[in-house]
Amino acid sequence: MSRPAILPARGFADRLTGLFWRRPRLLLGLMLTPPLLWLGVVYLGSLAALLLQSFYSIDEFSGMVVPEFTLKTYAELLRPANYDVIFRTLLMSAAVTLGCAVLAFPIAYYAARFARGRWKAVFYLGVMLPLWSSYLVKVYAWKLILAKEGIITWAAEATHTSGILNAVLALPVIGGNSLSTSYIGMFLVFTYVWLPYMILPMQAALERVPTSMLEASQDLGATRAQTFRTVILPLALPGVIAGSIFTFSLTMGDYIIPQIVGNSANFIGMAVYQLQGTAGNIPLAAAFAVVPILIMLVYLTLAKRAGAFDAL
Amino acid sequence: MTVAVEFQSVSRHFGPVKAVDSVDLTIAEGAFFAMLGPSGSGKTTCLRLISGFEQPSGGSIRIFGEDVSRTPPHLRNVNTVFQDYALFPHMNVRDNVAYGLMVKGMAKAARHARAEEMLALVKLDRYGDRKPGQLSGGQRQRVALARALVNEPRVLLLDEPLGALDLKLREAMQDELKALQQRLGITFVFVTHDQHEALSMADSLAVFNEGRITQIGTPAEVYDRPATRFVADFVGSSNVLPPEMTRALGGPAQWASLRPENTRLAETGPVTGTVTALRYLGSGTRVILRAGETEIAALVPAGQPLPEPGATSAFAFAPDALHVMGGA
Repeated sequence: MSRPAILPARGFADRLTGLFWRRPRLLLGLMLTPPLLWLGVVYLGSLAALLLQSFYSIDEFSGMVVPEFTLKTYAELLRPANYDVIFRTLLMSAAVTLGCAVLAFPIAYYAARFARGRWKAVFYLGVMLPLWSSYLVKVYAWKLILAKEGIITWAAEATHTSGILNAVLALPVIGGNSLSTSYIGMFLVFTYVWLPYMILPMQAALERVPTSMLEASQDLGATRAQTFRTVILPLALPGVIAGSIFTFSLTMGDYIIPQIVGNSANFIGMAVYQLQGTAGNIPLAAAFAVVPILIMLVYLTLAKRAGAFDAL
Repeated sequence: MTVAVEFQSVSRHFGPVKAVDSVDLTIAEGAFFAMLGPSGSGKTTCLRLISGFEQPSGGSIRIFGEDVSRTPPHLRNVNTVFQDYALFPHMNVRDNVAYGLMVKGMAKAARHARAEEMLALVKLDRYGDRKPGQLSGGQRQRVALARALVNEPRVLLLDEPLGALDLKLREAMQDELKALQQRLGITFVFVTHDQHEALSMADSLAVFNEGRITQIGTPAEVYDRPATRFVADFVGSSNVLPPEMTRALGGPAQWASLRPENTRLAETGPVTGTVTALRYLGSGTRVILRAGETEIAALVPAGQPLPEPGATSAFAFAPDALHVMGGA
């Protein structure tokens, strides 16, 4: 009995697999076309349209967009009042990023180094669970928590620590009438909603640091603090930067939290929202929207220069 | 003799698992000491007990007479070459080697000069500016060695130091490690599951099995006079003969070991077997005989006639080649 060296093709799937084997790039191309179309045309296209809009201006009398290239809108953007908005947003984004990083590190470190099996599942569930509920629900829940009639004030009274709460609220600039109408409150809510975006990349980065590397550091005489500074932090830095890109840009672009919590001071996101909505000033809204992009570019350049991506 | 490392009934239990079970061990200063055993035999745990990455569940560990039970790894004057080398990927080779000096607060110029000396010692000068990722496996191994030696440890621990290297490189590194150890006079303790490595490098070795040390001795002692069937079987390949066969061959009714290289095929003999397999080794051919339940390997030197599989043959050996083992 002779058996063939080549098995007969069973149908379309066999022939297709054969085609992909002969032309390996074909499959890759087919897989990449939809996302490239999406990214290239829809995403980058709209970004380009946004940039373009920012170089138009608005006719002050008719309120119509004049489709002619001008830097008038950018001149308008760089007024002192708008500086304040940009500076305030930048400061809040930086504070939120720092707060998230400090809070996320121990959690991410624990999950990467010690959590196994069931506890790992608990970790992922714990981090992801808040993402399953609506962002608005969470923000309103926080407003209630932070309100003067809320649970924090109640708890402070019950434990006779109202003095501390009042002292915190009496702080200049960041304090206020109540937590829910102060920058502190806004910071707390931002930190809460963006924390998972910091924990997850950090945990992924820490997971890739082999235990033997930490042991090598100790073995050579390093204290815990030295190990952290010279080995853990540099190796986890790409993850920290990835996380900070999320927290930083999400805070910079947000226009809902500053409306609900805080002292109704203006933020970039709110400014964009108002300019393109109520004010109908699309060019200025576009110019405002360009600011976070520029800030992120500067941030990433600085991070790259500081060697944050060397361990990638 | 100064004692470098001493274990007094040291145990390390992980839950119900006795990874190290009441081990007594003495390693002399300046020794090249091997801990040999199959995976899970407790040899690596013993190494980690010396470096401090594991703490004993019982017993005491002394390094140069000092009890280190309560000393954290970073305060022990002992350094480790890790199995995966554990080089810091974000630092160049020079900074990797200088790391131990950096954390002690030595100034940059001084520690870099010292690192270059260490790199020269392992023949890697001119590689200081490279990143570990740009080096070959053998070069990384040398960097790990230089980094572990920069602190001038009193004991150097090596965890499967040559495990990741290919055969040629492994043999070259064996010679180099041995030469380096003799030059520096530092006590080397290394863990391996490779008996050839242990026999060729160590000047004394401990054979581990199931958390205990089965035998300690020089390579020749362990090879020629294995204490148990396990050692006979694990260190080199050996014919392990049951008591009845030992007696048939003229020995006492006890378990015995017989090295294949000391066993020849013969026309006649007290025990005969059936040839079941032939293994060509280059320098000769190993012939496997089956006599009842026992397999006996004999060496037929190159150029001599070979039996056919299925043939019947006896075997012979020099009288002192049969090593009778105590106990089971």
